[in-house]
Amino acid sequence: MDAPESVGHLTTALRARGYLADRGLATALFVAMSLHRPILLEGEVGVGKTEVAKAIAAAYERTLIRLQCYEGIDPHQAIYEWDYARQMLHIRALSEHQLADSGAVDQLFGPAFLIERPLLAAVRAGDAAVLLIDEIDRADDEFEAFLLEVLSDFQISIPEVGTIRAERPPLVVLTSNRTRELHDALKRRCLYHWIGYPTAEREAEIVLAREPGAAIELTRKVVAAVHRLRELDLAKPPGVAETIDWVQTLRFLGATDLNPASARDTLGAVLKERDDLELVSGSLADITSGA
Amino acid sequence: MLVAFGRELRGAGLGVGTGDAVTYAAALSRLDPADLTDLYWAGRVVLVSRPDDIATYDQVFARFYLGEPAMPRAGRPPAMPPRASTWSESALVVPDADPAGPGPGEQALLGLLASDAEVLRHKEFAACTPDELAAVRRMMARIALTPPRRRSRRTQRARRGAVVDLRRMIRDSLRTQGDPAGLRWRDRKVRLRPLILILDVSGSMADYSRHLLQFAYSARRAAARVEVFCFGTRLTRITGELNRRRPDDALERAAASVVDWAGGTRIGESLRTFVTEWGRRGIARGGIVVICSDGLDRGDPAVLDAAMERLARLSHRIVWVNPHVGGDPGFRPSTLGMMIAAPHTDLLVSGHDLDSLAELAALLPALN
Repeated sequence: MDAPESVGHLTTALRARGYLADRGLATALFVAMSLHRPILLEGEVGVGKTEVAKAIAAAYERTLIRLQCYEGIDPHQAIYEWDYARQMLHIRALSEHQLADSGAVDQLFGPAFLIERPLLAAVRAGDAAVLLIDEIDRADDEFEAFLLEVLSDFQISIPEVGTIRAERPPLVVLTSNRTRELHDALKRRCLYHWIGYPTAEREAEIVLAREPGAAIELTRKVVAAVHRLRELDLAKPPGVAETIDWVQTLRFLGATDLNPASARDTLGAVLKERDDLELVSGSLADITSGA
Repeated sequence: MLVAFGRELRGAGLGVGTGDAVTYAAALSRLDPADLTDLYWAGRVVLVSRPDDIATYDQVFARFYLGEPAMPRAGRPPAMPPRASTWSESALVVPDADPAGPGPGEQALLGLLASDAEVLRHKEFAACTPDELAAVRRMMARIALTPPRRRSRRTQRARRGAVVDLRRMIRDSLRTQGDPAGLRWRDRKVRLRPLILILDVSGSMADYSRHLLQFAYSARRAAARVEVFCFGTRLTRITGELNRRRPDDALERAAASVVDWAGGTRIGESLRTFVTEWGRRGIARGGIVVICSDGLDRGDPAVLDAAMERLARLSHRIVWVNPHVGGDPGFRPSTLGMMIAAPHTDLLVSGHDLDSLAELAALLPALN
């Protein structure tokens, strides 16, 4: 399997990996793969932005190369770095005569001493890879500028070595939690898709796809409870990941039904803020009452 | 057809370039242009680049392809419908509308040859004539405003520092045949903390809000990481509007985007909106939040308390600028809103005239 033939094929392939993509997301990914454009995914926390990259890599037997962004990430951590320790040893091993030769320096800054970082690895791997640039909004805006060349031309210039270009570009998936607005230049190079919360039926399907053994009735009740939680004024509303966690936790504890008692014991799987826990604990009966 | 659709979207305020229309056509060539769903999603993926634009896209799509008049989307409720039930009329202490009496304005007059800038700087904004206002604006534009700094994870060359700069050492050692010539260092850079200004533009602040906006404008011009919000009964982000070269343009656009000038005040709900819509996503994280308001809240005190508490935990420091503090050092909060907010506030300063705003600007770098 190389690239999808149609949106339908893509949806099926993802489903086989336990990821249910709706029509919008599937179309977005399909266009990204066929036009070789990077795709920027934004959405609430825990709606499967990162998961979809993993699923697509698995479905099309590509290696997933992940670049987790953080503040202060620089090109040496993202693109390439020289292996200084080896270079140092190499210089020491050379004789004075060899050092005088200009070839020695060329060799020192040649491919042998280059350490691949995710971006270079992805460009070299080409379409055998899915490059996941995760939480790009955590990196500072200077870093976005470094990404531009990679994302528009799928090439990397290393002054000492030359330009490395991907003949068949990898699929690039960027995710952002919108902690800051990304630069327009970056957005212009990307396709864009916003992932929202799924509907209750869809979310139940997703949970069952990820937790095949879960009882349907329990799943439905948990999903209904989570949807009710999202309507409340919570500091951190639960995402789909939390729903799956909750079902997992309940199953692990052997609970067959979601009632106020079992919900109280497992609420930590969905709500991660003390204020939220306090707000909800009073109305557990309401929330767990099912559909 | 597709290009016309792109033009239609551009007319509706979306940033659609010519290249985007080409991509849209290319995307559709891989899909089924006769299928409305494909038509919709291909356009949304290519032509929309921020979630706020999705509703507009939906409308234009419906109008252009389906011939429908504007289609209201059910998914997004309009932000904050007014809720009469949360308005509490009681327990409000209205402060003296004209705070500082015989102000420092007279003091400046004592110096016989004091420049008229001196006089101006000590006047209450409320008393300024249009001519003076122009001068005030000129002066405001000169106030240098620097948010406090913090150490970032990014490093730079330094004489001595925390990390050895191997890259530079290798380069240097080429000259000495591999003998390290000496240690080279990198150290962590310092970065400006984000600064968030939240301005009260309600009726009770009407005398000051224009100047606060002017202050916000100069702040926005002075430092890169500044976000500006306005609120009366609802919260409006005006950072983008202030991004103009000419101050008058910026102010005009900002003023136009705020719909609740000189109306009522619901500080609590506005701050809550800020925390849930913006703060949670990280705008305020590690930042300095400056709230400019007199604390005359018409909303539910409990909402304000909860919002302030959350904001205090989210941000690095909260500064409350209250014009009614005046020059009085022994000021005690007299409005209910102020009393609730005070425990969560790191610093309470006055913003009644230019000097106090300049003082605030001078205070900011020290708020580490």
